Amino acid sequence: MSQPQQTAPPEARRRLHPLTPLLRGLRYAAIAVVAISWQGYEELGTVRWAMAVVLVAVVLLLAALVSWRATGYHVVGRELRIHEGLLWRRTRAIPLERLQSVELVRPVLARLLGLAELRLEVVGASKTEAPLAYLSLDAALALRERLLALARRAAPVPTGTAPAQPGIAPAQPGTGTEPGAVAAGPVAIGPAPVGALPERRVHLIANRDLFISQLLRPQWWALPLAIAAPIFFFFTESSLSFVAIASTVTAVIGTIQAPVRVLLADWNFTLGVAADGLRIRRGLLETRSQTVPPGRVQAVGIEWPLLWRGHGWVRARMDVAGLTAQDNNRMREGTLLPVGDVPTARRLVGEVLPGFDLTSVAVFPVPRRARWLAPFRAGVLGYTLTDAVFASRDGLLTRRLVVVPYGRIQSIRVVQRPLQRLLRLASVHIDTAGNGLPAIAEHRRVSEILPLITELAERARAARHGG
Amino acid sequence: MLAAGFAAVVTLVRAALLPRIISSWGYAERAEDLLVRHGRLVRRLSIVPYGRMQFVDVTAGPLERAFGLATVQLHTAAAASDARVPGLPPKEAARLRDRLAALGEARAEGL
Repeated sequence: MSQPQQTAPPEARRRLHPLTPLLRGLRYAAIAVVAISWQGYEELGTVRWAMAVVLVAVVLLLAALVSWRATGYHVVGRELRIHEGLLWRRTRAIPLERLQSVELVRPVLARLLGLAELRLEVVGASKTEAPLAYLSLDAALALRERLLALARRAAPVPTGTAPAQPGIAPAQPGTGTEPGAVAAGPVAIGPAPVGALPERRVHLIANRDLFISQLLRPQWWALPLAIAAPIFFFFTESSLSFVAIASTVTAVIGTIQAPVRVLLADWNFTLGVAADGLRIRRGLLETRSQTVPPGRVQAVGIEWPLLWRGHGWVRARMDVAGLTAQDNNRMREGTLLPVGDVPTARRLVGEVLPGFDLTSVAVFPVPRRARWLAPFRAGVLGYTLTDAVFASRDGLLTRRLVVVPYGRIQSIRVVQRPLQRLLRLASVHIDTAGNGLPAIAEHRRVSEILPLITELAERARAARHGG
Repeated sequence: MLAAGFAAVVTLVRAALLPRIISSWGYAERAEDLLVRHGRLVRRLSIVPYGRMQFVDVTAGPLERAFGLATVQLHTAAAASDARVPGLPPKEAARLRDRLAALGEARAEGL
């Protein structure tokens, strides 16, 4: 890809906020305290423990100070450059046309000090590529606005083949008339549209539902066990040390932390749509505000956990390249709807994947002989093709529908394992640039494979060419 | 001992089946995509559109070089994409690489 080179004089490097080393040092010190653990506390005694903690804190604070001195960032052309490291110098250039998501994170301490962290996700990075921690809130907001404006200018319409990327919010009738939507085209070169773009609020979660839904998670079942174990030890060994109590507390926290974290992270979850993409705001203590530019959603997953079916609740998440959403504990990374009823999910998913109606999905079931390979799931497995998406269903207890727009398909794979061959079955995998939501048409008849992959390849091609 | 024996049996069986395993590899350059097929026990077929290609690798390890062979691998933005064509003569590998690069350039779609 050749970028028109901008010949503006290079911008001066900027430093992170001066309070950064203090905040970082404190954070590392807290981690160090956890690492020493209760066992260490027992062995060292209070005074020496406190001395060790202070020593570690001072060392970490100094290290953070040095690293702060060496860190700087600036925007050069259409790249954000981050310089860091004292001994091992590193300069990272982040091409903004590859920007997948920008998140403004404000942990509790940072909120108290008026600071914020800016996290950028780019393609091909296994972890968050550019955590800029910490900036003053104003600087973070301005930088985010600027990066998104640059991304918007750089990103759209690769090679001019696709007039409008399919599956994107601004193509919608509701937002098309907004003045900001015009800026999505490559015409808006000139003064960057800094300032708030008009935003349409799509959904605000009911915190009560979120609370109840998180109580309805299997992690709580482990709670009685976590409490009972030390009581049992107390009666058998007739002594209950401080360490035992502390360990119990830790164990309890360990079991219930997943639902509690979701509760804290997704409190006041708000989804909005603006010209620069989807906007998600959430969080009770640590607040996060994420912007996903148009066309970055690789796949959407809708889940029906068993315990939520009584309320008719589902949750939805989106797969964005660069964001990791592998396991449930980290699913807050790509949350699209923490909890909600089916009509809500239908509305939100329709917002991300225009033209897809969640309630009208009927999957083609797998043949009866697939029961030999998936005795419990055979009744659930299935896939379907709609006008705009491929969707596959899986999961016994937590039923999951994975939806991939044709335009986001990277490659298609057919895999046939030995037992499948015996039963004349095969699976079709749909690969996207995301990595958390596998879209697989499992255990299909061999006779339907060829028509299916031919159709998929054709539809993916048509979607890529904007047809 | 048992493990070694098992490994030896597996190696022997593999050696006996090697021609069949190798003959299972195949690729086809179609108008819009590359097809790669391989595997006997687990059969796999990949369809990778040229427009989705991020970059092409041509590698030749010491053993491959000794026998005058090279491997061409196509990468997309999806980590799961699996389009590797091993055991090509270097000339064919270079031709395939150039052709894929040219087609990828012409049809580049990014993400």
